[in-house]
Amino acid sequence: MATEPQIYPSKRFRFEIKDNLWKWIFLVPAVAIILILLAVPVLWTLYAAFTDLHLYRIGDFDTKFVGLANFEKLLSNRSFWRTARNTVVFMLGVVPAQLIIGLTVALALNNITRGQKLFRTWFLMPLMVSPVVVSFIVGRMLFQEDIGPINDILRSFGFEGVPWLTSPTWAMVALMAIDVWQWSSFMILMLLAALQGVPPDLHEAARVDGANQLQAFWRITVPLIMPITMTALLIRIIDAFKVVEIIMVLTGGGPGQATESVTLAIYRTGVKGGDLAFGSSQAYFLLIVLMIFGGAYLFLTRRAMGKD
Amino acid sequence: MGLAAQKRVRTIISYCILGFWSFILLFPMYWVVITSFKNAIDMSIKATYMPFIDFQPGLHAWRYLFVDRLTWFLDPFMNSVLVAFISSTVALVIGSSAGYALARFDYGGRNNSIVLGFMSQRMFPGALFILAFLVMFRELGLLDTRLALIIVYSSGAIPFIVWVMRDFFEGLPVEIEESAMIDGANRLGVLFRIAMPLAAPGLVAVFVLSLIGAWNEYLVALTLTFREAITIPLFMTMQVSQTGYTEWWNMSAISLVSVIPVVAAGMALEKYITGGLTFGALKG
Repeated sequence: MATEPQIYPSKRFRFEIKDNLWKWIFLVPAVAIILILLAVPVLWTLYAAFTDLHLYRIGDFDTKFVGLANFEKLLSNRSFWRTARNTVVFMLGVVPAQLIIGLTVALALNNITRGQKLFRTWFLMPLMVSPVVVSFIVGRMLFQEDIGPINDILRSFGFEGVPWLTSPTWAMVALMAIDVWQWSSFMILMLLAALQGVPPDLHEAARVDGANQLQAFWRITVPLIMPITMTALLIRIIDAFKVVEIIMVLTGGGPGQATESVTLAIYRTGVKGGDLAFGSSQAYFLLIVLMIFGGAYLFLTRRAMGKD
Repeated sequence: MGLAAQKRVRTIISYCILGFWSFILLFPMYWVVITSFKNAIDMSIKATYMPFIDFQPGLHAWRYLFVDRLTWFLDPFMNSVLVAFISSTVALVIGSSAGYALARFDYGGRNNSIVLGFMSQRMFPGALFILAFLVMFRELGLLDTRLALIIVYSSGAIPFIVWVMRDFFEGLPVEIEESAMIDGANRLGVLFRIAMPLAAPGLVAVFVLSLIGAWNEYLVALTLTFREAITIPLFMTMQVSQTGYTEWWNMSAISLVSVIPVVAAGMALEKYITGGLTFGALKG
């Protein structure tokens, strides 16, 4: 490289100017698109949250700033707190279940050699299916109250059929089952990757030193897979907070408002109802909760793991 | 119990767990396949489980879909195909160029911050965007067009592609590119003739993942399209609400047609896809 400029000084110079151009040609389109299509909506929604903007009145000049009125309305709105509660209940139902299933299946998968690739490929399947289809197949068809197979099997064992979609509690359970069916695979694959990063001889050494299976698992495997587990959990928690599609397809938020999530409420008020201002304030409320939660989660897990 | 026996017990338990979970994942898929061959009578009294034993399978749902109502189904199907392929291709070209640039050039020492800036988009809930998109695309007169979906889906896929591909390009040896440039190639040639072919596994993974994401997306499609540009997920829910949830066989056939291409692609490319899916967490 060093000899090059001396032989063709002018060519080298031109070449660098041109390369400097490519540096920007490659990066600028991506940055521009992200700024226009991500930053603008985020800022626009922030603006909308402080106005009385309505979809059917856009272009009128009487859009006014209302300060924190939307947020005051939000905090005193019982219907909104209902959807917030539903969302938290949903998250608390699905994430632990996915963690337990994920860890159990990943441990089993890590324990076998023959057929591991086959199972891994098969477990990828639910992640490829659209939530709409999953909610239709698993939710509407399997949980169908009269002729669905789940109630049919329950009845054949002498139980009563469960009112999956008409009872508020059971409708929530059905939604959780759909999410667990689809997303446990994510935990399985993440935890399997984590487990495969644990050096097997470490485990062996602990066994030789007299630790039993359980002790070796808690003292060696768990701390080593902890970082990936924590990240996977955070991803799943954030996704669970954003749940909407499966609810739209299975219950539409019903019966009553028993399964309406925050995102569904935003869609209903903002897009369907046209109340952009109130919808935006709800969206920002969700964002703020996610950021506080995510920040606290990262801070606490980093600190806890740093202390270990 | 000796160690060997213990190990055998563990293996047997492992296979039982894996078999059980595989069954849980399989049953809904089995159910949708057999339902697509059922007649109304097979679903009016009680659940039926086994074709030829419980019920006589028929092809009427498939005939309905591919013969009677083909044109009606073809529009949303083609919308999905076009939107998914065009948006993923655009995102791949723009995103991997940026990923390459961030791997090879120095932007005042801020490369990591730029990548983080791209990724911050993933924290934002989709609900935050749909209201603004609705107003934006309404003002632009692009509501209910494929272009609106293509724009949104490519911008949604770019950050992930930048993030993964930057890492991928950083792992490639820089010497080949340098010697090509000394031989007179410019950056564009280096990117497309040398770096991209070497990064093919990464490109395949992010391309298929964006394809699947666009193919399955629902919330934005529901907000921005309603008649001409609807995609398959939207078409499905529209059918469900129109028919009052009763034409299970037709819905099953439509589900299968929409699911099979992406599941097949995903499972065929399992190695790359799993790598792409778990990439973020393994790195962080």
